Amino acid sequence: MIGAGAAALTGAVLLSLVLGSKPTTPLEVWRVLTGDADGFTATVVESRYPRTVLGIVAGAALALSGTLMQGVTRNPLADPGLLGVNAGAAAAVVTATAVLGPTSVTATVWWALPGAVLAGLAAHAVGSRGGDGGMVRLVLAGAVVSAVLTAYVQALGLTFPDVFDSYRHWVVGSLAGRDFDVVASVLPVVAVGAALGLAVSGGLNALALGEEAAVATGANTAWVRSGGLVAATVLAAGATAAAGPIAFVGLAVPHVVRALVGVDFRVQVPFALLAGPTLLLVADVVARTVVRPTELMVGVVTAFVGAPVLLYAVRRMRETT
Amino acid sequence: MFRLGRAVALPVHPRSLLVAALLLVLLVAAAAATLSLGRLGIPLTRLPTVVAGAGEATETFVLDRLRGPRLAVAAGTGAALGLAGALFQSVTRNPLGSPDVIGLGAGAGAGAAIAALVLPGIVPVPLGALGGAALAMLIVATATGTGLRHPGRLIVAGIGVAAMAHAVSEFVVAVMARDQASVLHAYLYGSLGARSWEHAAVIWGVVALAVPLVLVIAGAIAVNEMGDELADALGGRARSTRTAAISLSVVLTAAAVSVAGPIAFVALTAPQIARRTTGAPGPNMAVAAVVGALLLVLADLAVQHSPIGDGLPVGLFTMALGGVYLGYLLIREWRRGNL
Repeated sequence: MIGAGAAALTGAVLLSLVLGSKPTTPLEVWRVLTGDADGFTATVVESRYPRTVLGIVAGAALALSGTLMQGVTRNPLADPGLLGVNAGAAAAVVTATAVLGPTSVTATVWWALPGAVLAGLAAHAVGSRGGDGGMVRLVLAGAVVSAVLTAYVQALGLTFPDVFDSYRHWVVGSLAGRDFDVVASVLPVVAVGAALGLAVSGGLNALALGEEAAVATGANTAWVRSGGLVAATVLAAGATAAAGPIAFVGLAVPHVVRALVGVDFRVQVPFALLAGPTLLLVADVVARTVVRPTELMVGVVTAFVGAPVLLYAVRRMRETT
Repeated sequence: MFRLGRAVALPVHPRSLLVAALLLVLLVAAAAATLSLGRLGIPLTRLPTVVAGAGEATETFVLDRLRGPRLAVAAGTGAALGLAGALFQSVTRNPLGSPDVIGLGAGAGAGAAIAALVLPGIVPVPLGALGGAALAMLIVATATGTGLRHPGRLIVAGIGVAAMAHAVSEFVVAVMARDQASVLHAYLYGSLGARSWEHAAVIWGVVALAVPLVLVIAGAIAVNEMGDELADALGGRARSTRTAAISLSVVLTAAAVSVAGPIAFVALTAPQIARRTTGAPGPNMAVAAVVGALLLVLADLAVQHSPIGDGLPVGLFTMALGGVYLGYLLIREWRRGNL
């Protein structure tokens, strides 16, 4: 199964290198990779390297973030986007842009991170008021946080159109126009989040049994829960900073993974790390080919993929609530 | 009890009448402020003369072209949204079940964008908005299963539908109209800028058509609030009443979206303010409509005179305030254990 996942990711990477507003053939890409192509083709293909790498990093981060969140909260609706993390990152970035003027994409990372963490905390605070957090409370709280912050972001964006021209593409989520600096600047953040996430993921199986059973098995539930949420937030913030608020990858991937490989998190986590980049790269390929010669933002495509998964999850909730 | 033949019977609640009268006074005051505040405003003392049609050229221009239509559209849209929200919340017996929360507004926005950009001149925009709202309703109903009763599920499904609808809108804007993108962007969040009397005619026409229908089913809806079994026992035919009310709500939402874009949270808050101020049980349709009109006129007034300039879509303003209100509402509902 992991082999099939790796094969799918390899295929997605190839597609990402081959297809675009100027289509190339696999043979041409091979020639570029071996340094045996004409300058124009080489430029075209090489321009696709950063977005492909970014797709892998962001896709893996979002998928792991969603898997951790759904595992820790035992909530099949948990998703960094739905919990307001994306909106928080966006709000922090527009605020910084409005106050300091247009900044480099690299700099936005350092603004997006605290914004994402604060919004995530706010959603948790609202969602856990008045008792134990239920299945839908966190999502509803996230929707509230997102609504308020989205209004703020859009208002600023419409008030200062010139300043936000470049930012407009970031805000719907896009892998286009990023260079390796962007990847390099989020990589440490994502790596820390991923290391923490992998460290706690072993405890998720115990947590899935419920609080009492988990304690009985000797699992340190407090560590797994807090470590998992911190890792999920850091991962989502890193991915959002680099690629913009891409919704639904963190929601959809864990559902697909569960359906394919079952409920064991020791299998789910590595599989999600393959499935996330695959989904994001394929979505990005669709985004840049479907309306050729212009491009669609990848966030638009992932909404088409992810929203039906959300609706499916709602339908499944009938049995449990 | 107000009766008109056998079909129309409206329970009249004395405090509701008082509240409605008070709200109407406030609405008139807000309307006068809209026409007279700021640069180019018609002075209050001149207002009766100008409205009567005896104003000077500039004043008449301000009333006829600039502020009059905008005010009329704001009031009509607010009334339509208030009514739509009251119908929906009442028949789903769910204070959170509101057309904007469950993605109808976003669906109508996507439908309107498709009609305006993909099929210009072939499909009228209001019809596109109606199609989008109906499709969104259908998807939400399918996702939640048979009942629209469970508040949490309804809203989560709405979030999904709204996300898809936004994706459709973004797609259409990206493909069809790069140069018009910023105008459309404002429209997609609900804007009252540059409205004409034609927009006002559309929204008031739909409201005028809807009101008699609402009156016909108002009694059945009030019975419905007691629960399906009781309503059926009283000969209420709960299901068909619900279908009729939701259809009306969809039409009103679509009309509002087609003239002003998806304006967030007015449909959610207006019926609740109506219920709170009148203290009356039942759906409070008329008061909800007046509250909706008042809310939107006030919101538009605030946007026009906000320090960061007009041109800001009024929908963003209602979204920010409505989001806070939704948060308060959620905490209250789950304190009571309703969620």
